[in-house]
Amino acid sequence: MSDYAVSLLVRIGVEAFVALSAYLLLVIGRVSFGQQAFFVIGGYAAGIATALYGAPLAVGIMVGAVAAGVAGALLSAVMAPVGGIYFAAGSLAFGELVRVALLSFHYQVPVGADLTGPAGADGFRGVRALFTGGVSATAFMLAVAGLVALTFLAIALLLRSRWGEAMRMVGEDETASASLGVRVRRVAALTMAGAGALAGLGGGLFVHYATYMEPGHSDVMLGVHSLAYAFIGGLGTPLGPIIGVALDIGLLESFRFLAGYRMIVFGGLVMGLLVVRPRGLLDEVAVHRLSRLVAWGRR
Amino acid sequence: MLEVRDVVTSYGMIQALRGVSLTAREGEVTCILGPNGAGKTTLLYTIAGILRPRSGSISFQGRELAGTSAPDVVGRGISLVPENRLVFPHMTVRENLFAGAYVRLGRDRAGVEADLDAMFARFPILKQRAGQAAGTLSGGEQQMLAVARALMARPRLLMMDEPSLGLAPLVVEQIFQIVQGLNREGITVLLVEQNARLALSIAHHAYLLEQGRIAFHGTPSEVSANEGISRAYLGIKGG
Repeated sequence: MSDYAVSLLVRIGVEAFVALSAYLLLVIGRVSFGQQAFFVIGGYAAGIATALYGAPLAVGIMVGAVAAGVAGALLSAVMAPVGGIYFAAGSLAFGELVRVALLSFHYQVPVGADLTGPAGADGFRGVRALFTGGVSATAFMLAVAGLVALTFLAIALLLRSRWGEAMRMVGEDETASASLGVRVRRVAALTMAGAGALAGLGGGLFVHYATYMEPGHSDVMLGVHSLAYAFIGGLGTPLGPIIGVALDIGLLESFRFLAGYRMIVFGGLVMGLLVVRPRGLLDEVAVHRLSRLVAWGRR
Repeated sequence: MLEVRDVVTSYGMIQALRGVSLTAREGEVTCILGPNGAGKTTLLYTIAGILRPRSGSISFQGRELAGTSAPDVVGRGISLVPENRLVFPHMTVRENLFAGAYVRLGRDRAGVEADLDAMFARFPILKQRAGQAAGTLSGGEQQMLAVARALMARPRLLMMDEPSLGLAPLVVEQIFQIVQGLNREGITVLLVEQNARLALSIAHHAYLLEQGRIAFHGTPSEVSANEGISRAYLGIKGG
Protein backbone atom coordinates (compact mmCIF):
# COMPACT_ATOMS: atom_id res chain seq x y z
CA MET A 1 0.00 0.00 0.00
CA SER A 2 1.36 3.42 -0.88
CA ASP A 3 2.53 5.75 1.89
CA TYR A 4 -0.14 8.19 0.80
CA ALA A 5 -2.93 5.64 1.18
CA VAL A 6 -1.63 4.63 4.61
CA SER A 7 -1.45 8.21 5.81
CA LEU A 8 -4.96 8.85 4.48
CA LEU A 9 -6.33 5.84 6.34
CA VAL A 10 -4.57 6.87 9.55
CA ARG A 11 -6.12 10.31 9.26
CA ILE A 12 -9.56 8.81 8.71
CA GLY A 13 -9.05 6.60 11.76
CA VAL A 14 -7.79 9.40 13.97
CA GLU A 15 -10.56 11.80 13.04
CA ALA A 16 -13.12 9.03 13.46
CA PHE A 17 -12.37 9.21 17.19
CA VAL A 18 -13.12 12.92 17.30
CA ALA A 19 -16.24 12.37 15.21
CA LEU A 20 -17.42 9.58 17.54
CA SER A 21 -16.68 11.86 20.47
CA ALA A 22 -18.94 14.57 19.03
CA TYR A 23 -21.50 11.88 18.18
CA LEU A 24 -21.72 10.66 21.80
CA LEU A 25 -22.60 14.19 22.86
CA LEU A 26 -25.15 14.47 20.04
CA VAL A 27 -26.80 11.34 21.43
CA ILE A 28 -27.43 13.19 24.70
CA GLY A 29 -28.63 16.20 22.71
CA ARG A 30 -25.57 18.39 23.06
CA VAL A 31 -23.87 20.07 20.14
CA SER A 32 -20.19 20.50 20.92
CA PHE A 33 -17.82 22.75 19.01
CA GLY A 34 -15.02 21.92 21.42
CA GLN A 35 -14.05 18.27 21.02
CA GLN A 36 -10.81 19.36 19.32
CA ALA A 37 -9.63 20.52 22.75
CA PHE A 38 -9.79 16.96 24.09
CA PHE A 39 -8.00 15.72 20.98
CA VAL A 40 -5.11 18.05 21.75
CA ILE A 41 -5.15 17.40 25.51
CA GLY A 42 -4.95 13.68 24.77
CA GLY A 43 -2.16 14.22 22.26
CA TYR A 44 -0.07 16.38 24.58
CA ALA A 45 -0.57 14.07 27.56
CA ALA A 46 0.28 10.96 25.53
CA GLY A 47 3.33 12.67 24.04
CA ILE A 48 4.56 13.80 27.45
CA ALA A 49 4.15 10.26 28.77
CA THR A 50 6.17 8.60 26.01
CA ALA A 51 8.65 11.27 24.88
CA LEU A 52 9.44 12.82 28.26
CA TYR A 53 9.01 9.93 30.65
CA GLY A 54 9.72 6.96 28.41
CA ALA A 55 6.36 5.27 28.81
CA PRO A 56 5.62 2.50 26.29
CA LEU A 57 3.52 3.56 23.32
CA ALA A 58 0.32 1.79 24.44
CA VAL A 59 0.60 3.17 27.97
CA GLY A 60 1.22 6.67 26.64
CA ILE A 61 -1.86 6.53 24.42
CA MET A 62 -3.90 5.35 27.38
CA VAL A 63 -2.54 8.19 29.50
CA GLY A 64 -3.73 10.59 26.79
CA ALA A 65 -7.22 9.12 26.77
CA VAL A 66 -7.45 9.21 30.56
CA ALA A 67 -6.18 12.81 30.74
CA ALA A 68 -8.76 13.93 28.17
CA GLY A 69 -11.44 11.95 30.00
CA VAL A 70 -10.57 13.70 33.25
CA ALA A 71 -10.68 17.05 31.42
CA GLY A 72 -14.15 16.12 30.14
CA ALA A 73 -15.28 15.21 33.65
CA LEU A 74 -13.93 18.50 35.04
CA LEU A 75 -15.68 20.50 32.32
CA SER A 76 -18.89 18.60 33.04
CA ALA A 77 -18.91 19.99 36.57
CA VAL A 78 -19.74 23.32 34.95
CA MET A 79 -21.43 22.24 31.74
CA ALA A 80 -23.46 19.11 32.58
CA PRO A 81 -26.62 21.03 33.55
CA VAL A 82 -26.35 23.26 30.49
CA GLY A 83 -28.02 22.36 27.21
CA GLY A 84 -28.87 23.79 23.85
CA ILE A 85 -27.11 26.79 22.44
CA TYR A 86 -25.42 27.49 25.79
CA PHE A 87 -23.63 24.18 25.67
CA ALA A 88 -22.58 24.84 22.08
CA ALA A 89 -21.22 28.28 23.00
CA GLY A 90 -19.53 26.99 26.15
CA SER A 91 -17.83 24.13 24.34
CA LEU A 92 -16.59 26.52 21.66
CA ALA A 93 -15.16 28.79 24.36
CA PHE A 94 -13.49 25.81 26.04
CA GLY A 95 -11.87 24.74 22.76
CA GLU A 96 -10.42 28.19 22.24
CA LEU A 97 -9.37 28.42 25.87
CA VAL A 98 -7.31 25.25 25.53
CA ARG A 99 -5.76 26.42 22.27
CA VAL A 100 -4.74 29.76 23.73
CA ALA A 101 -3.52 28.19 26.97
CA LEU A 102 -1.27 25.83 24.99
CA LEU A 103 0.27 28.80 23.19
CA SER A 104 1.96 29.68 26.47
CA PHE A 105 2.41 26.15 27.81
CA HIS A 106 6.11 25.35 28.18
CA TYR A 107 7.15 22.12 29.77
CA GLN A 108 10.49 20.91 28.51
CA VAL A 109 12.70 18.24 29.97
CA PRO A 110 16.17 17.17 28.82
CA VAL A 111 15.88 13.92 26.93
CA GLY A 112 19.28 12.73 25.73
CA ALA A 113 21.09 15.75 24.32
CA ASP A 114 17.96 17.84 23.58
CA LEU A 115 15.18 19.55 25.43
CA THR A 116 11.86 17.89 24.56
CA GLY A 117 8.32 18.87 25.42
CA PRO A 118 5.59 21.38 24.65
CA ALA A 119 7.16 24.69 23.70
CA GLY A 120 4.28 27.16 23.52
CA ALA A 121 3.46 28.34 20.03
CA ASP A 122 6.28 26.22 18.60
CA GLY A 123 4.32 23.14 19.54
CA PHE A 124 5.43 19.80 20.84
CA ARG A 125 8.06 18.12 18.64
CA GLY A 126 9.96 14.89 18.85
CA VAL A 127 7.29 12.41 19.90
CA ARG A 128 9.07 9.45 18.36
CA ALA A 129 7.92 6.43 20.33
CA LEU A 130 6.22 4.93 17.29
CA PHE A 131 9.35 4.98 15.16
CA THR A 132 11.93 4.20 17.84
CA GLY A 133 9.67 1.31 18.80
CA GLY A 134 10.04 -0.02 15.25
CA VAL A 135 6.31 -0.04 14.43
CA SER A 136 5.76 0.25 10.69
CA ALA A 137 3.27 2.79 9.36
CA THR A 138 1.12 0.01 7.93
CA ALA A 139 1.04 -1.88 11.23
CA PHE A 140 0.09 1.33 13.02
CA MET A 141 -2.65 2.01 10.47
CA LEU A 142 -4.03 -1.47 11.07
CA ALA A 143 -3.90 -0.91 14.83
CA VAL A 144 -5.79 2.37 14.45
CA ALA A 145 -8.38 0.66 12.24
CA GLY A 146 -8.75 -2.09 14.84
CA LEU A 147 -9.23 0.47 17.60
CA VAL A 148 -11.87 2.30 15.57
CA ALA A 149 -13.71 -0.99 14.99
CA LEU A 150 -13.52 -1.86 18.69
CA THR A 151 -14.74 1.60 19.68
CA PHE A 152 -17.61 1.34 17.22
CA LEU A 153 -18.65 -2.01 18.70
CA ALA A 154 -18.34 -0.71 22.25
CA ILE A 155 -20.53 2.32 21.48
CA ALA A 156 -23.06 0.19 19.59
CA LEU A 157 -23.33 -2.14 22.59
CA LEU A 158 -23.48 0.79 25.01
CA LEU A 159 -26.38 2.33 23.09
CA ARG A 160 -28.29 -0.96 23.29
CA SER A 161 -27.79 -1.17 27.05
CA ARG A 162 -29.88 0.49 29.74
CA TRP A 163 -27.21 3.18 29.94
CA GLY A 164 -27.56 3.89 26.26
CA GLU A 165 -31.30 3.99 26.70
CA ALA A 166 -30.84 6.71 29.33
CA MET A 167 -28.49 8.63 27.02
CA ARG A 168 -30.96 8.56 24.15
CA MET A 169 -33.79 9.60 26.46
CA VAL A 170 -31.75 12.58 27.71
CA GLY A 171 -30.98 13.50 24.11
CA GLU A 172 -34.65 13.45 23.20
CA ASP A 173 -36.11 15.28 26.19
CA GLU A 174 -34.45 16.04 29.52
CA THR A 175 -37.59 16.88 31.48
CA ALA A 176 -39.39 13.73 30.36
CA SER A 177 -36.27 11.67 31.13
CA ALA A 178 -36.07 13.10 34.64
CA SER A 179 -39.76 12.41 35.19
CA LEU A 180 -39.18 8.77 34.25
CA GLY A 181 -36.34 8.45 36.72
CA VAL A 182 -33.19 9.15 34.68
CA ARG A 183 -30.41 10.99 36.55
CA VAL A 184 -29.92 13.52 33.77
CA ARG A 185 -26.87 15.30 35.19
CA ARG A 186 -25.02 12.10 35.89
CA VAL A 187 -25.71 10.82 32.38
CA ALA A 188 -24.51 14.12 30.90
CA ALA A 189 -21.37 14.22 33.07
CA LEU A 190 -20.30 10.65 32.34
CA THR A 191 -20.98 11.08 28.63
CA MET A 192 -18.83 14.22 28.58
CA ALA A 193 -16.01 12.33 30.28
CA GLY A 194 -16.33 9.41 27.86
CA ALA A 195 -16.49 11.70 24.84
CA GLY A 196 -13.39 13.51 26.10
CA ALA A 197 -11.52 10.23 26.47
CA LEU A 198 -12.44 9.17 22.93
CA ALA A 199 -11.16 12.40 21.38
CA GLY A 200 -8.07 12.10 23.59
CA LEU A 201 -7.46 8.59 22.28
CA GLY A 202 -7.49 10.02 18.77
CA GLY A 203 -5.05 12.73 19.85
CA GLY A 204 -2.65 10.22 21.39
CA LEU A 205 -2.66 8.17 18.19
CA PHE A 206 -2.20 11.22 16.03
CA VAL A 207 0.72 12.73 17.94
CA HIS A 208 2.69 9.51 17.66
CA TYR A 209 2.03 9.17 13.97
CA ALA A 210 2.88 12.79 13.21
CA THR A 211 5.61 12.97 15.90
CA TYR A 212 4.32 16.47 16.47
CA MET A 213 1.40 18.44 17.79
CA GLU A 214 0.80 22.16 18.18
CA PRO A 215 -1.86 24.43 19.69
CA GLY A 216 -3.24 24.91 16.16
CA HIS A 217 -4.48 21.32 16.24
CA SER A 218 -7.14 22.60 18.61
CA ASP A 219 -8.48 24.68 15.73
CA VAL A 220 -12.25 25.01 15.83
CA MET A 221 -12.54 23.63 12.28
CA LEU A 222 -11.68 20.17 13.60
CA GLY A 223 -14.61 20.41 16.01
CA VAL A 224 -16.93 21.68 13.29
CA HIS A 225 -15.90 18.87 10.96
CA SER A 226 -16.41 16.25 13.65
CA LEU A 227 -19.94 17.47 14.16
CA ALA A 228 -20.58 17.59 10.44
CA TYR A 229 -19.38 13.98 10.09
CA ALA A 230 -22.13 12.76 12.38
CA PHE A 231 -24.71 14.86 10.53
CA ILE A 232 -23.54 13.53 7.14
CA GLY A 233 -23.21 9.88 8.10
CA GLY A 234 -26.28 9.82 10.28
CA LEU A 235 -27.29 10.02 13.92
CA GLY A 236 -28.99 6.62 14.02
CA THR A 237 -25.82 4.57 14.51
CA PRO A 238 -22.17 5.14 15.52
CA LEU A 239 -21.35 3.93 12.02
CA GLY A 240 -22.70 7.30 10.81
CA PRO A 241 -19.82 9.53 11.93
CA ILE A 242 -17.27 6.99 10.69
CA ILE A 243 -18.91 7.02 7.26
CA GLY A 244 -18.90 10.81 7.42
CA VAL A 245 -15.14 10.93 8.01
CA ALA A 246 -14.47 8.37 5.30
CA LEU A 247 -16.58 10.31 2.81
CA ASP A 248 -14.91 13.62 3.56
CA ILE A 249 -11.28 12.61 3.87
CA GLY A 250 -11.43 9.50 1.71
CA LEU A 251 -13.34 10.96 -1.22
CA LEU A 252 -13.24 14.74 -1.19
CA GLU A 253 -9.73 15.28 0.05
CA SER A 254 -8.09 12.43 -1.80
CA PHE A 255 -9.44 13.44 -5.19
CA ARG A 256 -6.81 15.81 -6.42
CA PHE A 257 -9.05 17.49 -8.95
CA LEU A 258 -11.13 18.92 -6.12
CA ALA A 259 -7.96 20.51 -4.72
CA GLY A 260 -8.95 23.98 -3.61
CA TYR A 261 -12.66 23.33 -3.85
CA ARG A 262 -12.85 20.70 -1.11
CA MET A 263 -14.33 23.00 1.49
CA ILE A 264 -16.91 24.31 -0.97
CA VAL A 265 -17.98 20.80 -1.91
CA PHE A 266 -17.96 19.73 1.73
CA GLY A 267 -20.00 22.72 2.85
CA GLY A 268 -22.46 22.18 0.02
CA LEU A 269 -22.76 18.50 0.90
CA VAL A 270 -23.51 19.32 4.54
CA MET A 271 -26.06 21.98 3.62
CA GLY A 272 -27.77 19.80 1.05
CA LEU A 273 -27.97 16.85 3.40
CA LEU A 274 -29.34 18.95 6.23
CA VAL A 275 -32.23 19.88 3.97
CA VAL A 276 -32.88 16.43 2.49
CA ARG A 277 -31.90 14.24 5.45
CA PRO A 278 -31.71 16.39 8.58
CA ARG A 279 -30.46 13.50 10.70
CA GLY A 280 -27.95 12.17 8.17
CA LEU A 281 -27.74 9.27 5.72
CA LEU A 282 -28.14 6.56 8.38
CA ASP A 283 -30.77 8.24 10.52
CA GLU A 284 -32.98 6.42 13.04
CA VAL A 285 -35.56 5.50 10.40
CA ALA A 286 -32.95 4.06 8.04
CA VAL A 287 -31.35 2.08 10.86
CA HIS A 288 -34.75 0.78 11.95
CA ARG A 289 -35.55 -0.35 8.40
CA LEU A 290 -32.11 -1.90 7.89
CA SER A 291 -32.32 -3.83 11.14
CA ARG A 292 -35.75 -5.14 10.17
CA LEU A 293 -34.35 -6.15 6.79
CA VAL A 294 -31.54 -8.03 8.53
CA ALA A 295 -34.01 -9.71 10.87
CA TRP A 296 -36.15 -10.69 7.88
CA GLY A 297 -33.13 -12.02 6.02
CA ARG A 298 -32.24 -14.26 8.96
CA ARG A 299 -35.61 -15.97 8.88
CA MET B 1 -51.85 8.72 50.24
CA LEU B 2 -49.93 11.88 49.32
CA GLU B 3 -49.52 14.62 51.91
CA VAL B 4 -47.91 17.88 50.88
CA ARG B 5 -47.19 20.23 53.83
CA ASP B 6 -46.01 23.85 53.62
CA VAL B 7 -43.84 23.22 50.57
CA VAL B 8 -41.73 26.14 49.37
CA THR B 9 -39.93 25.84 46.03
CA SER B 10 -37.92 28.64 44.43
CA TYR B 11 -36.18 29.33 41.17
CA GLY B 12 -33.25 31.38 42.37
CA MET B 13 -34.73 34.44 44.06
CA ILE B 14 -38.27 33.81 42.91
CA GLN B 15 -40.54 31.77 45.14
CA ALA B 16 -42.88 29.78 42.94
CA LEU B 17 -44.51 27.84 45.78
CA ARG B 18 -44.99 29.81 49.00
CA GLY B 19 -46.06 27.13 51.42
CA VAL B 20 -48.43 24.77 49.63
CA SER B 21 -50.33 22.07 51.50
CA LEU B 22 -52.60 19.52 49.90
CA THR B 23 -53.73 15.94 50.26
CA ALA B 24 -54.41 13.42 47.52
CA ARG B 25 -56.49 10.62 49.00
CA GLU B 26 -56.04 7.04 47.89
CA GLY B 27 -58.32 6.01 45.05
CA GLU B 28 -59.51 9.55 44.33
CA VAL B 29 -58.97 12.05 41.55
CA THR B 30 -57.63 15.26 43.05
CA CYS B 31 -57.44 18.21 40.72
CA ILE B 32 -55.45 21.42 40.96
CA LEU B 33 -56.88 24.45 39.20
CA GLY B 34 -55.33 27.84 38.80
CA PRO B 35 -54.17 30.46 36.33
CA ASN B 36 -50.91 30.39 34.36
CA GLY B 37 -47.91 30.98 36.56
CA ALA B 38 -49.69 29.91 39.74
CA GLY B 39 -47.10 27.18 40.36
CA LYS B 40 -49.05 24.10 39.29
CA THR B 41 -46.29 22.57 37.18
CA THR B 42 -43.70 23.54 39.80
CA LEU B 43 -45.74 21.65 42.39
CA LEU B 44 -45.84 18.50 40.26
CA TYR B 45 -42.09 18.76 39.48
CA THR B 46 -41.38 19.15 43.20
CA ILE B 47 -43.39 16.05 44.07
CA ALA B 48 -41.70 14.16 41.21
CA GLY B 49 -38.24 15.00 42.61
CA ILE B 50 -37.23 16.99 39.52
CA LEU B 51 -37.14 20.16 41.64
CA ARG B 52 -36.07 20.22 45.27
CA PRO B 53 -38.26 22.05 47.77
CA ARG B 54 -36.57 24.68 49.90
CA SER B 55 -38.68 23.68 52.89
CA GLY B 56 -41.77 21.71 53.81
CA SER B 57 -42.52 18.02 53.68
CA ILE B 58 -44.05 15.63 51.17
CA SER B 59 -45.06 12.22 52.40
CA PHE B 60 -46.25 9.35 50.25
CA GLN B 61 -47.85 6.31 51.86
CA GLY B 62 -46.55 7.53 55.18
CA ARG B 63 -42.91 7.94 54.10
CA GLU B 64 -41.07 11.20 53.53
CA LEU B 65 -40.49 12.08 49.89
CA ALA B 66 -39.15 15.65 49.91
CA GLY B 67 -35.57 15.77 48.66
CA THR B 68 -35.75 12.22 47.27
CA SER B 69 -34.24 11.91 43.81
CA ALA B 70 -36.49 11.42 40.78
CA PRO B 71 -35.54 7.74 40.23
CA ASP B 72 -36.57 6.89 43.80
CA VAL B 73 -39.84 8.80 43.45
CA VAL B 74 -40.68 6.82 40.31
CA GLY B 75 -39.58 3.63 42.04
CA ARG B 76 -41.95 4.31 44.91
CA GLY B 77 -44.91 4.50 42.57
CA ILE B 78 -45.37 8.09 41.43
CA SER B 79 -45.38 8.84 37.71
CA LEU B 80 -45.77 12.12 35.89
CA VAL B 81 -47.38 12.74 32.53
CA PRO B 82 -45.63 16.02 31.76
CA GLU B 83 -47.17 19.12 30.27
CA ASN B 84 -46.98 19.16 26.45
CA ARG B 85 -46.68 15.35 26.56
CA LEU B 86 -42.92 15.41 25.91
CA VAL B 87 -42.78 12.09 24.08
CA PHE B 88 -39.34 11.16 22.74
CA PRO B 89 -39.88 12.24 19.12
CA HIS B 90 -37.21 10.22 17.30
CA MET B 91 -37.82 7.04 19.26
CA THR B 92 -40.48 4.61 18.12
CA VAL B 93 -43.69 4.20 20.09
CA ARG B 94 -42.38 0.89 21.41
CA GLU B 95 -39.10 2.49 22.52
CA ASN B 96 -41.03 5.26 24.27
CA LEU B 97 -42.95 2.66 26.24
CA PHE B 98 -39.76 0.85 27.20
CA ALA B 99 -38.35 4.20 28.31
CA GLY B 100 -41.34 4.55 30.62
CA ALA B 101 -40.23 1.42 32.44
CA TYR B 102 -36.67 2.75 32.71
CA VAL B 103 -36.36 2.36 36.50
CA ARG B 104 -37.21 -1.35 36.42
CA LEU B 105 -35.87 -2.26 32.97
CA GLY B 106 -32.67 -3.70 34.43
CA ARG B 107 -34.26 -6.15 36.84
CA ASP B 108 -37.69 -6.98 35.42
CA ARG B 109 -37.40 -7.36 31.65
CA ALA B 110 -40.11 -10.03 31.48
CA GLY B 111 -42.53 -7.90 33.50
CA VAL B 112 -41.85 -4.95 31.22
CA GLU B 113 -42.57 -7.06 28.12
CA ALA B 114 -45.83 -8.24 29.67
CA ASP B 115 -46.83 -4.68 30.56
CA LEU B 116 -46.03 -3.62 26.99
CA ASP B 117 -48.53 -6.16 25.68
CA ALA B 118 -51.09 -5.00 28.24
CA MET B 119 -50.55 -1.40 27.14
CA PHE B 120 -51.03 -2.34 23.47
CA ALA B 121 -54.26 -4.11 24.43
CA ARG B 122 -55.48 -1.02 26.27
CA PHE B 123 -54.41 1.41 23.54
CA PRO B 124 -54.80 -0.45 20.22
CA ILE B 125 -53.81 2.65 18.25
CA LEU B 126 -50.37 2.53 19.89
CA LYS B 127 -49.95 -1.05 18.75
CA GLN B 128 -50.71 0.02 15.18
CA ARG B 129 -48.07 2.72 15.53
CA ALA B 130 -45.54 0.62 17.46
CA GLY B 131 -42.71 0.97 14.95
CA GLN B 132 -43.39 4.59 14.08
CA ALA B 133 -41.38 7.55 15.41
CA ALA B 134 -43.40 9.10 18.24
CA GLY B 135 -42.96 12.58 16.76
CA THR B 136 -45.09 11.58 13.78
CA LEU B 137 -48.17 10.80 15.91
CA SER B 138 -51.12 13.16 16.21
CA GLY B 139 -51.50 15.22 19.37
CA GLY B 140 -54.11 12.89 20.83
CA GLU B 141 -52.04 9.80 20.07
CA GLN B 142 -49.01 11.46 21.66
CA GLN B 143 -51.03 12.18 24.78
CA MET B 144 -52.12 8.54 24.91
CA LEU B 145 -48.50 7.51 24.47
CA ALA B 146 -47.45 9.85 27.29
CA VAL B 147 -50.06 8.30 29.58
CA ALA B 148 -49.10 4.77 28.55
CA ARG B 149 -45.42 5.59 29.03
CA ALA B 150 -46.08 6.80 32.57
CA LEU B 151 -48.14 3.67 33.29
CA MET B 152 -45.20 1.49 32.25
CA ALA B 153 -43.59 2.41 35.58
CA ARG B 154 -46.59 0.82 37.36
CA PRO B 155 -47.55 3.90 39.35
CA ARG B 156 -49.93 4.00 42.31
CA LEU B 157 -50.17 7.76 41.94
CA LEU B 158 -50.43 9.22 38.44
CA MET B 159 -49.78 12.94 38.11
CA MET B 160 -51.04 14.57 34.94
CA ASP B 161 -50.07 18.07 33.84
CA GLU B 162 -52.59 19.69 31.50
CA PRO B 163 -53.55 16.59 29.50
CA SER B 164 -56.08 18.57 27.45
CA LEU B 165 -53.57 21.13 26.20
CA GLY B 166 -53.88 21.74 22.46
CA LEU B 167 -56.20 18.81 21.79
CA ALA B 168 -59.54 18.75 19.98
CA PRO B 169 -62.59 18.52 22.27
CA LEU B 170 -63.44 14.97 21.20
CA VAL B 171 -59.90 13.82 21.88
CA VAL B 172 -59.91 15.59 25.25
CA GLU B 173 -63.05 13.70 26.17
CA GLN B 174 -61.39 10.44 25.21
CA ILE B 175 -58.33 11.23 27.33
CA PHE B 176 -60.51 12.07 30.32
CA GLN B 177 -62.39 8.80 29.90
CA ILE B 178 -59.05 7.03 30.03
CA VAL B 179 -58.09 8.90 33.21
CA GLN B 180 -61.40 8.05 34.80
CA GLY B 181 -60.99 4.41 33.79
CA LEU B 182 -57.53 4.24 35.34
CA ASN B 183 -58.89 5.79 38.51
CA ARG B 184 -61.65 3.17 38.70
CA GLU B 185 -58.97 0.50 38.45
CA GLY B 186 -57.50 1.91 41.64
CA ILE B 187 -54.85 4.39 40.46
CA THR B 188 -54.88 7.61 42.46
CA VAL B 189 -54.76 10.64 40.19
CA LEU B 190 -53.41 14.14 40.78
CA LEU B 191 -54.60 16.24 37.88
CA VAL B 192 -53.50 19.74 36.91
CA GLU B 193 -55.90 21.17 34.36
CA GLN B 194 -56.90 24.47 32.80
CA ASN B 195 -60.18 23.06 31.59
CA ALA B 196 -61.78 23.48 35.01
CA ARG B 197 -65.25 22.30 34.07
CA LEU B 198 -63.96 19.01 32.68
CA ALA B 199 -61.53 18.50 35.56
CA LEU B 200 -64.24 19.06 38.15
CA SER B 201 -66.48 16.58 36.36
CA ILE B 202 -64.14 13.69 37.21
CA ALA B 203 -62.53 15.00 40.43
CA HIS B 204 -63.40 14.02 43.98
CA HIS B 205 -61.56 16.95 45.47
CA ALA B 206 -60.26 20.20 44.01
CA TYR B 207 -57.61 22.72 45.03
CA LEU B 208 -57.24 26.21 43.68
CA LEU B 209 -53.63 27.38 43.42
CA GLU B 210 -53.03 31.11 43.04
CA GLN B 211 -49.61 32.81 43.13
CA GLY B 212 -47.96 29.88 44.86
CA ARG B 213 -50.59 29.42 47.56
CA ILE B 214 -53.71 27.30 47.95
CA ALA B 215 -56.51 29.82 47.73
CA PHE B 216 -59.42 27.43 48.18
CA HIS B 217 -60.18 23.75 48.33
CA GLY B 218 -63.25 21.59 48.52
CA THR B 219 -65.42 19.15 46.63
CA PRO B 220 -66.28 19.98 43.03
CA SER B 221 -69.75 21.12 44.08
CA GLU B 222 -68.28 23.41 46.75
CA VAL B 223 -65.97 24.90 44.13
CA SER B 224 -68.82 25.44 41.70
CA ALA B 225 -70.93 26.95 44.48
CA ASN B 226 -68.28 29.56 45.22
CA GLU B 227 -69.34 32.55 43.21
CA GLY B 228 -65.94 34.18 42.71
CA ILE B 229 -64.27 30.97 41.63
CA SER B 230 -66.96 29.89 39.23
CA ARG B 231 -66.93 33.33 37.66
CA ALA B 232 -63.14 33.23 37.18
CA TYR B 233 -62.62 29.60 36.25
CA LEU B 234 -65.91 28.25 34.97
CA GLY B 235 -67.00 31.33 33.08
CA ILE B 236 -70.33 31.51 34.89
CA LYS B 237 -71.62 35.03 35.31
CA GLY B 238 -72.57 35.91 38.85
CA GLY B 239 -76.25 36.52 39.25
